[in-house]
Amino acid sequence: MQIAISGGKGGTGKSTVATNLAVALRKIGVKLTLADLDVEAPNDHILLGVELANEKPVNQFMPRFDYSKCTKCRKCAEVCEEHAIVTLRDGTPFLMPTLCSGCRACEIVCPVPGAIQEAFRTIGHTYVTPTPYGFTLVTGKLKEGEERSMPLVVAAKRRAEEVREGLLMVDTAAGTGNTVSKAIESSKLLIAVTEPTPLGIHDTELILELGRLMGIPTWVVVNRADLGEKEKVYELARKYGAEVVAEIPYSENIVRSYVEGKPIVLTDYPEAEIFTGLAKRVAEFLGGGE
Amino acid sequence: MQIAIASGKGGVGKSTITASLLYLLKDDYSFVAVDADAEAPNLGLLLGVTEWDEEREHIGAKVARINTESCVKCGICYERCPYGCIYIDDEEGNYVVNELTCEGCNVCGLVCPVAGTITLEEVRSGVIRKATTKYGFPLISAQLDVGRPESGKLVTEEKEWASKLMKELNLEHMIVDSAAGIGCQVIASLGGADVAILIAEPTPASLSDVQRAYKVVQHFREPAYLIINKADINPGFRGLEEWAEKEGIPILGRIPYDRAVPKSMSMLKPVVEAFPDSKASKAIVEIAEVIKKEILG
Ligand code: SF4
Ligand code: SF4
Ligand code: SF4
Ligand code: SF4
Repeated sequence: MQIAISGGKGGTGKSTVATNLAVALRKIGVKLTLADLDVEAPNDHILLGVELANEKPVNQFMPRFDYSKCTKCRKCAEVCEEHAIVTLRDGTPFLMPTLCSGCRACEIVCPVPGAIQEAFRTIGHTYVTPTPYGFTLVTGKLKEGEERSMPLVVAAKRRAEEVREGLLMVDTAAGTGNTVSKAIESSKLLIAVTEPTPLGIHDTELILELGRLMGIPTWVVVNRADLGEKEKVYELARKYGAEVVAEIPYSENIVRSYVEGKPIVLTDYPEAEIFTGLAKRVAEFLGGGE
Repeated sequence: MQIAIASGKGGVGKSTITASLLYLLKDDYSFVAVDADAEAPNLGLLLGVTEWDEEREHIGAKVARINTESCVKCGICYERCPYGCIYIDDEEGNYVVNELTCEGCNVCGLVCPVAGTITLEEVRSGVIRKATTKYGFPLISAQLDVGRPESGKLVTEEKEWASKLMKELNLEHMIVDSAAGIGCQVIASLGGADVAILIAEPTPASLSDVQRAYKVVQHFREPAYLIINKADINPGFRGLEEWAEKEGIPILGRIPYDRAVPKSMSMLKPVVEAFPDSKASKAIVEIAEVIKKEILG
């Protein structure tokens, strides 16, 4: 079983909810693995207060031209949808590595055996980090300067699936582009974390739309529920047949625990209850589904 | 001059601060604003834009489609798609492309043994809009459609439109509010900028993300400045200031946490307009003065 935490807009508290929910679920006995697929800005390890461990490079294919064999036919450049191959006037191909997404289309069309050799470059890393909370965190981290996050999302998700124990909980990037849908894919439940500000509401509609298009039942968590018009979130949720399952007030305690890298659900602060309650609902949902 | 504003992490106040800075600079400078956060564009909302002068569809994305009539169900495309975007439809056993994750690389089309079965089709990836804000300056804003790739190209096209506008209207500057993260949208925003302004808050997560954004800035060899938002929420944390000092990144100013900011956001106004006497507004006014002196000259 897999569930996803997403949010549309950045900074709505997606990672706070993901990490606290993971800790809370484990506390009530649910076995799980958490995957941080926000590969451009992964933060779950910071919120959990752990150092990333077990680094593995994500090596991606890129073409290396053997100019002694290449006939300068330009086919590779024509087929490259990323425009990562440029050709000189005489047809000699050159690669712009950061644009290459490693799809191998160039290799497939090259008519001359051996003209395109297999080379690799590291576009980022994946990590498998044990946490003191009884679950493992898998993280994908894109290298700075790399343009395409999709291959890294795919690699990190694959590694998470290899090591997973029990439930796979996925924390996605901000936005609603195709890397977010890749992260969410195969989830049985999508939890959209939102805030009731006009900006938050605007972006919530996008993530609810994505959930609808993917046919995944969606829950809404309203973060900083007292800072805006939460009725509008409820209205929107109704429109998309999504249920609002929790409200989290703006709280200095949450800010403090966030800043200290200590999940709030393990403290005596009253806010801990909200996450425990949410965890119970998720556990019920999971139980009901099996 | 082209200024790009980035943060790495979302939700640290980038768009709110940008909206306020635009408001404060509008009387002394002429510029076009670009909202390059195509997956969650918010600047238009914050600047009270309700009507767009012009809207252009961006037909840039490509997705593969499989013609089930001629497909022989060999499964080669399914095995070769580098991103696992082809699935087998449970009911009919047909091979289908998941259009919400497809990157449009055409590998499936190249390996399919039955000619014409897989076609790569151009689809709309989003829209780019132009508005004249009530403050007088124009805004270009893009919106990526849900589940589409290639948001970097959308940003590049936005900036091209903005450059044209600069020439037509004889504007001095372009101010680009980039997306969260460090991927293609951010690279397209920072590429070609003369100066980068980074925004971060004093938390370990924000520090980690702004450091990553700074590496992209360094890649383009652009001078960078830092604004510290919610500067007082974490008094014990010195990491952000220490990092800026070590890298030699000048700090343009520090904005205190202030409830006036979320309040102004729900009023859909820059905080400096809605609550000019608030602590946050005073700090932003000071920052705008520094920007005028140090960056815009
Ligand atoms: S692997 Fe794909 S993206 Fe890279 S150069 Fe070849 S065709 Fe282009
Ligand atoms: S397709 Fe092969 S032979 Fe043709 S230009 Fe590219 S590398 Fe050279
Ligand atoms: S175009 Fe590329 S990403 Fe899309 S289904 Fe075909 S192989 Fe997969
Ligand atoms: S490769 Fe072509 S024929 Fe084979 S399953 Fe895919 S679409 Fe059908």
